[in-house]
Amino acid sequence: MAKKITGTQALTGNRLSDGGVVFLASNGVWRAGLENARLAHSDEDIADLEAEGADAVEANRIVDPYLVRVEVRQGRLVPAAFREHMRTRGPSVNLDFNSRTNGQAASAA
Amino acid sequence: MYRYDEFDATFVRQRVDQFRGQVERRVNGELSEEEFRPLRLMNGLYLQLHAYMLRVAVPYGTLNSAQMRKLAFIADTYDRGYGHFTTRQNIQYNWPRLPDVPDILEHLAEVEMHAIQTSGNCIRNVTADHWAGVAADEAEDPRPHAELMRQWSSLHPEFSFLPRKFKIAVTGASADRAAIRYHDIGLRLKKNGQGEVGFEVFAGGGMGRTPMLAPRVRDWLAKEDLLPYLEAIMRVYNLHGRRDNKYKARIKILVHALGAEEFTAQVEREYARIDAPHIEPEQQELKRIAAYFAPPDYDALPGDDPALALRLEKHEDFAGWVERNVSAHRAPGYGIVNISLKPIGGIPGDASSDQMRAVADLAETFSLDEIRISHEQNLVLPNVAKRDLFALWQSLGEHSLADANIGLASDIIACPGLDYCGLATARSIPIAQDISRRLGDPARQREIGDMKIKISGCINACGHHHAGHIGILGLEKRGEEYYQITLGGSGDERASVGEIIGPGFSAENLTDAVETIVDTYMGLRENGETFLEAYRRVGPDPFKEAVYATH
Repeated sequence: MAKKITGTQALTGNRLSDGGVVFLASNGVWRAGLENARLAHSDEDIADLEAEGADAVEANRIVDPYLVRVEVRQGRLVPAAFREHMRTRGPSVNLDFNSRTNGQAASAA
Repeated sequence: MYRYDEFDATFVRQRVDQFRGQVERRVNGELSEEEFRPLRLMNGLYLQLHAYMLRVAVPYGTLNSAQMRKLAFIADTYDRGYGHFTTRQNIQYNWPRLPDVPDILEHLAEVEMHAIQTSGNCIRNVTADHWAGVAADEAEDPRPHAELMRQWSSLHPEFSFLPRKFKIAVTGASADRAAIRYHDIGLRLKKNGQGEVGFEVFAGGGMGRTPMLAPRVRDWLAKEDLLPYLEAIMRVYNLHGRRDNKYKARIKILVHALGAEEFTAQVEREYARIDAPHIEPEQQELKRIAAYFAPPDYDALPGDDPALALRLEKHEDFAGWVERNVSAHRAPGYGIVNISLKPIGGIPGDASSDQMRAVADLAETFSLDEIRISHEQNLVLPNVAKRDLFALWQSLGEHSLADANIGLASDIIACPGLDYCGLATARSIPIAQDISRRLGDPARQREIGDMKIKISGCINACGHHHAGHIGILGLEKRGEEYYQITLGGSGDERASVGEIIGPGFSAENLTDAVETIVDTYMGLRENGETFLEAYRRVGPDPFKEAVYATH
């Protein structure tokens, strides 16, 4: 039996080329950032998103698209699930390696 | 070090060419993701949360300077300038692009490296004691046997589609630095009553959602019988291991279900009827492999270096580093230098490309061109003359690699967690960073003493939390991360599985709870007991009382 889908949805996937997290925006364009996502509020909207997702898979642009429930928190659109929240915002740790190493330099002889 | 022969080189080159074709067919649509997924996984390429991740094997944790420089080159050219050394003696790149991966593999092949069997239900990269061949407490260097197992297990047709992944670890020392009893098969070289060296064999250990210590299945196995005996174990597992339930498919579940005695009996029956001469490698081949691991030409040095003694007296920081980071070497006048990849507040196991190049240069200058990766996510220069220690320490300091914290509270193992991993349920790295900052004061760490804190971001336990003196498991409940604490785990020769102390903690309260545990230990320890010794004496209750009274 198909899973019951509730609430506002967005369609997300990973780009085939680099695995980057993207959302289906308007006119079949896939963009990073949930703020650009086209939202589905009805079964018809969801069917449209899924059809475009299938097209993107067929066109070898997107890997494994799926729906995520989204909601507005503190005025911002965010994924409802914690994992999706982390996936959307990227690593929470500092990726600038040079600024995060702080080992102690040895003192001169 | 082992060098590829023509068969190794051809095999790896062929795999690169095959994968290049597979990627081309995936990109142009001839292969679907469903068809491509098993092919990329066979070459170590995962699709993680935010990007692809390429896992490169460092067989038994040994590599040379040219290989380390190549890893740095790949980090700069195809990734974001850093790599992550893992608890399985691999390196992971977190941001490769799919079309670039064949080129990366081609670069790796140039220095006799690959990513084959770093994923999938096959025999994975064989891991070993990171001090193999140089440790003072070793019966024999296990790496020739590890290399033999690498060759035997690579594309072995019988063991390429096992019920589940399969991990083998080997040590030749009395102290277990390879956590062998937490592996599907653990091997320890030891001497028998006649002074002959053979294997003690353990099978059915593992971490994950069902942590188990491997029972001993053979007290003594002649070295030449290793592969036939391993095949016997693998066949029993391949035949009876569960394929209907992923969570019950590891060999530990089979050993537990049958009981160690019955499992051992089945292995011995299989071994008795196996065509051993057909499986045993030729002695000539064994000698060829072993020759690559012959001890290097060490200088004849006195055991103690007078100049070193003076430096130790004069430089307190240097003395502290030597005390924690330099270990006993089997050759007089030499030491094993452990390089911490755990700067206070840093990401455990990460190294920048600059640091990789620096380590490569220093290995050439000071360590007879040899480097090791430890399963505790640190690096090792295994052959450093004591007279060179001071110069090496100074050079390491210039590259933020001189943290004197090996085996201390800030030497934390942590998996990538939910910052990178698609399987994770919570973050590990920020937790490690926070604890490291809290406990990382040099004097305080030394006062606390030996302490292994290990953090996993999900039940799969890549951060080895079950084996942590203090283990931390990250989970998610109703959209919030929370963390379970276990105490009393160990991966050494007195291995034990940590015990859950009670309800979990929020990310905000976790470091306070860990500090309370440490403070409780400091208050109750007797006669210089380590944390683990004290825990084994008093049990969990004092720690529970302290933690749950205050948090």
